[in-house]
Amino acid sequence: MMSEKHEQVVRTEDKQRAQAVERSEQQPDTIFVPDVDIREDDAALHLLADMPGVDQESANVTVENGVLTIEGQSRLEGPVGYELVGQEYGTGRFRRDFTLSDAVDVEGIKARARHGVLDVTLPKHEAVKTRKVAIES
Amino acid sequence: MFEVARWPRNPWSVFDELDSLHTDFNRVLDGWDRSTESAGRYDRASRYRAVYPPMNVWSAEDGIVIDAELPGVDPKAVDISVQGDELTLKGEVNTATADDKAVCYRRERPSGSFTRTLRLPFRADSSAVRAQYRNGVLRLSIPRPEEEKPKKIAIEAA
Repeated sequence: MMSEKHEQVVRTEDKQRAQAVERSEQQPDTIFVPDVDIREDDAALHLLADMPGVDQESANVTVENGVLTIEGQSRLEGPVGYELVGQEYGTGRFRRDFTLSDAVDVEGIKARARHGVLDVTLPKHEAVKTRKVAIES
Repeated sequence: MFEVARWPRNPWSVFDELDSLHTDFNRVLDGWDRSTESAGRYDRASRYRAVYPPMNVWSAEDGIVIDAELPGVDPKAVDISVQGDELTLKGEVNTATADDKAVCYRRERPSGSFTRTLRLPFRADSSAVRAQYRNGVLRLSIPRPEEEKPKKIAIEAA
């Protein structure tokens, strides 16, 4: 099934989530955890994160010590002069961390924010890309 | 004795959903709901467990503004219609089929078709509704027609 290397990439960062709760309890601002879709094809891993209200300038993607951090700040203000009469969602900061395996070529990571979705492409190192082996007759 | 009513006293509940519409349209959240178990007590980006898209509603004398969270949706694929005092939002989200060769490790973002109807506190003119889609948030501005605006009643001298 999934090889160990790939499992590392998608491993849920329980520890980091716990830290996020601690941080949000200490600070007045809440940190929202964005929903993500993670897919892998032959050449790269693709991560899509829902961050409504976040644009190119307020999104931030960093890699440090093999941990990918995606962040964003929702910037949509309510209309001026109106009273909030119903609220189903909150706005604020988004943040989520992922541990990357060695298979990822960190230098080649690309990210784009569009329509409130952060699209991150994580290319795999040449050596680990799937290669079809021709069978000699 | 009398309790001084707080203004605006509004018997209209903004999320007064029409019951008949609850039945089929939670499909979009079926797969999504299961994945929220892992989120536990963390604040999710959207706490919508029963309806999609989640909305925030503002009100003023001039009209109503509704913000709906719809990240990654094609604005052309969203149908907004107003009939009387009912506003209906219908569309599809994340239904583009992924590359068959790709392996999916995590699928948390909602996908499927959605329909949601809100009852407005006034009968709106559908041609006056403005919709803007910015950074994944759909903002609907619905002006209150003149006849529905609160009117001051002069007290005649006795």
